[in-house]
Amino acid sequence: MAADASAQRVAALAAGLLIVFLALALLSGWFSDYALELGGRVLLLMTLAEAWNLLAGYGGLVSLGTASFVGVGAYVLVGVMNRGAGLPLACLAAGLAAAALALLVSRAVFRLRGLYFTVGTLALSEALRLFMINFQPLGGATGLFLSPDVPGLRGLFLLALGLFAAATILMELATRSRFSILLRAVRDDEDAAAQIGVRPFRIKLLAFVFASVLMGLGGALQGLKLGAVEPYGMFGLQWTVNVLAIVIIGGQGLRLAALLGSVFVVTLGELLASYPALHLAITGLILIIVIRFAPQGLAGLTIRLARRLRRSTRA
Amino acid sequence: MQIQRPRPGRLPGYTWAVLLAAAMAAAAPGRAAEPEILIGASIPLSGALASFGVYEQWGYNTAVNDINRAGGIIVDGKRHPVRLIILDDKTDPSVTQSNTETLIAREKVVAMLGSCTPALVNAGALVAERRRIPLVTPCAPIRAFKSVRPWKYAWDIFFEESDLGSAPFRMLADLGVQTNRKVVILHDNGPDGQVVGGQIWPEVARQNRYQVVLNAPFPVDNTQFTSVIGAGKSSGADIVLVDASTPPAISIRKQLAAAGYRPKVLVVEKGAEPQQFAQALGALADGVLVGGYWDPSFPYAGSADLARRFERETHQTSSQHIADTLAAAQVLLDAIGAAGSTDPEKINAAIARTDKTYVVGPVRFDALHAAALPIVVTQWQKGRAVVVWPRNRANGSLLFPLP
Amino acid sequence: MDLQTVTDSLVSGVLLGGILALTALGLSIALGVMRLVNLAHGEILVGGAYLGLYLLRWTGLDPVLGLLLIGVLMAVLVYPLHGLLLAPLSGQGLEAPMMTMFGVSIILQNAFLLFFSADTRSIDRPYAATPVHIGSITVPQIYLIGFVISVIVIVLVHLLIARTRFGRELRASAADPGAAAANGVDVRRVHALTFALGAACAAMGGTLIGIAFSFSPTSGASYLLTGFAIVVLGGLGNIFATLVAGVALGLLQSLGGVVFGDGYRELAGLVLFLVVLAIRPQGLLSGRGS
Repeated sequence: MAADASAQRVAALAAGLLIVFLALALLSGWFSDYALELGGRVLLLMTLAEAWNLLAGYGGLVSLGTASFVGVGAYVLVGVMNRGAGLPLACLAAGLAAAALALLVSRAVFRLRGLYFTVGTLALSEALRLFMINFQPLGGATGLFLSPDVPGLRGLFLLALGLFAAATILMELATRSRFSILLRAVRDDEDAAAQIGVRPFRIKLLAFVFASVLMGLGGALQGLKLGAVEPYGMFGLQWTVNVLAIVIIGGQGLRLAALLGSVFVVTLGELLASYPALHLAITGLILIIVIRFAPQGLAGLTIRLARRLRRSTRA
Repeated sequence: MQIQRPRPGRLPGYTWAVLLAAAMAAAAPGRAAEPEILIGASIPLSGALASFGVYEQWGYNTAVNDINRAGGIIVDGKRHPVRLIILDDKTDPSVTQSNTETLIAREKVVAMLGSCTPALVNAGALVAERRRIPLVTPCAPIRAFKSVRPWKYAWDIFFEESDLGSAPFRMLADLGVQTNRKVVILHDNGPDGQVVGGQIWPEVARQNRYQVVLNAPFPVDNTQFTSVIGAGKSSGADIVLVDASTPPAISIRKQLAAAGYRPKVLVVEKGAEPQQFAQALGALADGVLVGGYWDPSFPYAGSADLARRFERETHQTSSQHIADTLAAAQVLLDAIGAAGSTDPEKINAAIARTDKTYVVGPVRFDALHAAALPIVVTQWQKGRAVVVWPRNRANGSLLFPLP
Repeated sequence: MDLQTVTDSLVSGVLLGGILALTALGLSIALGVMRLVNLAHGEILVGGAYLGLYLLRWTGLDPVLGLLLIGVLMAVLVYPLHGLLLAPLSGQGLEAPMMTMFGVSIILQNAFLLFFSADTRSIDRPYAATPVHIGSITVPQIYLIGFVISVIVIVLVHLLIARTRFGRELRASAADPGAAAANGVDVRRVHALTFALGAACAAMGGTLIGIAFSFSPTSGASYLLTGFAIVVLGGLGNIFATLVAGVALGLLQSLGGVVFGDGYRELAGLVLFLVVLAIRPQGLLSGRGS
């Protein structure tokens, strides 16, 4: 009975979220071009941030390899679409490719714990980038150009919304399920978890593959938007670094992190796009300040504020 | 790290935040009608290509400032000032793409000026093409530009790779330079490195009966060239052709010397052009040949002072790119004036009709939207760039062999 | 490719590896003692190169002769950063200091851009462009000089850690900070000094690299990765192992360059790194601390 009730609640939750997203999709018909473009960007970053947050915040796997999966997704989409396949098939291929890469490297990287895992993912990411630059059959440093036409701004926005919706719903389900408890158990003490019957490798792999698929699909969307992919733009460290900054500023391990962090970073970028020196300086300073004084990030601050407001209204 | 306990059944708090954000976005007002003519540019002001960004920023701003000082552009019968909005794309094509979208969607620019190097230029041009906004770009080698797609709204003013590739050989023949006709080629595997070093140089060498004893590609940010320099040295080739950006170009020059390899002719395309190359290497830069499309000694109006003006205003070392970017902006501004309108289609049509001489030389676009600038060969001599070929442009004589 | 070229390449690789080991030493010590993933390492390295450049320009002092001075200058510059930024974060796990240093790296890159412009620089010294002949082998003079200097500095650091009181305190803090503090060691000061020492090593290595190659505000990132590769190959905090790992990496990169072409140098190094990481994550040469 309890199981039925919780399954019902989860289903209701999923339905609720779905309605919200459908409403947004409908509303988007009235959005200005700029809102569509900005919204699409924020949604894409939020998806990547959710995925990374799952890995690092919930799973304790601080990965610096985001760029690899984004890049793989982008290249596969462009490659597949250039061979005449439609968008759905190309997205499927991109997701599968990202999952395949995750599976391929999982055996090696999961032998590493903590710090070594982090450094190992960074090395992998860079190695893949260097490989792509040299590898002529995939375009080398020139990369690939998308032949079919790119959807319009609204189409891209809806795709980003769809991806984020799927990511969010799945994340909500995951964090309310047994899986998240297992994941956190593995994060907190892998050996102890193993002793009570949890299979750490399988749990970590599940999280890793899930996150990688999301990143791959995000990359695919980005490749579609750009219409051209090359190693420096798609496999470059900036993907890893931007997502990292977003989650840190947002508040690692908290559900609001992705939204608050993405909105903050994108807004800052837009406001200071004409002042690169200021933008760089402020980004660095904010990171340092957030880490020092607000380790739970903007999400943590918001929650504390909300609690304080609730307490003061109650009193 | 604290994990929030989810409240069963209720929508997570952030969904309301998402809806609020969406509502704000929908309400975001577009820019009100401006009396100014708005043009936009997304250029690398930070990141690895920041030094190009400096030249572009100056070239674009100078063109706009000059025309505003002269009273602006006449559009629909009235004089309007021009406002140039420049955004930094951090040497990241994704940012170029989003900047270009922002400039078109939020700032409502009527035309764009391009970024630098194919990856960034393409990212911006593809957006401009989709949104039907004309984009004039310097800094994009023509063959790479044409290989992306048949452009309708993007226009390129730069050199053609085959012109650059054949220049050293034409110079050697023309000036009657005697060598053992053996060539070592070192090129990065960026878009133009592949074309010039991987295809054009071997082909032209073969046609002119030179023997390519070694052809080695390397990644754009490589720093170590020991094996290939060693192999080149043991081949005893008199001619070394290098196509690399400035950081590896500097490393290669030093490592050539440090390996005791003294070719008689050393050509370093792309990387050896800016003044910073000569500054970084000092005497070691002497004798290095580099193909270029502009020099202050060119007989075009404004050429002579341009570099001095740049250095005076920015306190930075100059490069030929200031001329190309200035010209690109001027071409666009002239086209707006010729169209007499801010309708992007009319501006685009006017760009197609461009046929004028600018500080960088005569500009006329071919059917594929490219205006090729002819190449001259310059040589670093005591920290100065001396034009050594062709004879009708030369303002100094060739230093041979490499000192 | 003839034997001569191959030998020259391999020997160059070994010598260069020594220089890289010096740059990685700072990373290794910080990691081993403070558990700090110093993402600003590349920028500190480039900062050292700028210091060398301007030292030469303003005083005419050869950067190699003034190398120790450059190291000390950098140490003095970064010492307060530890107290300001890192000390308050102690006990919060390894992401917080790592991301703080990442913030520092962004600010440093920006500072370099503002003060020194984006131009690519190189420290112009005659020995950077002259070969030296050891028997039949030809290598750039600067590689040999750099290698010798690196080895000397590494030995000095080893002696510092093995023989002095500071070194004892450092080792104690690395092994068990709690016990060390209980025994009267000012762990915080030890960490700050360690941080400064690491920065000094990075700066010195950076100057050598600035003489041999070129640098610009954004060129630090690639040395960060090489540094990590060496540190992990050699095992955390193990000084001589870092030297051996550096040499091994340099050698392997040269091998990769010789066999596959210079394009694959870095890739070869990274692949080795990944293989080692997969097989023996604690490093090739015993995972014990220094």
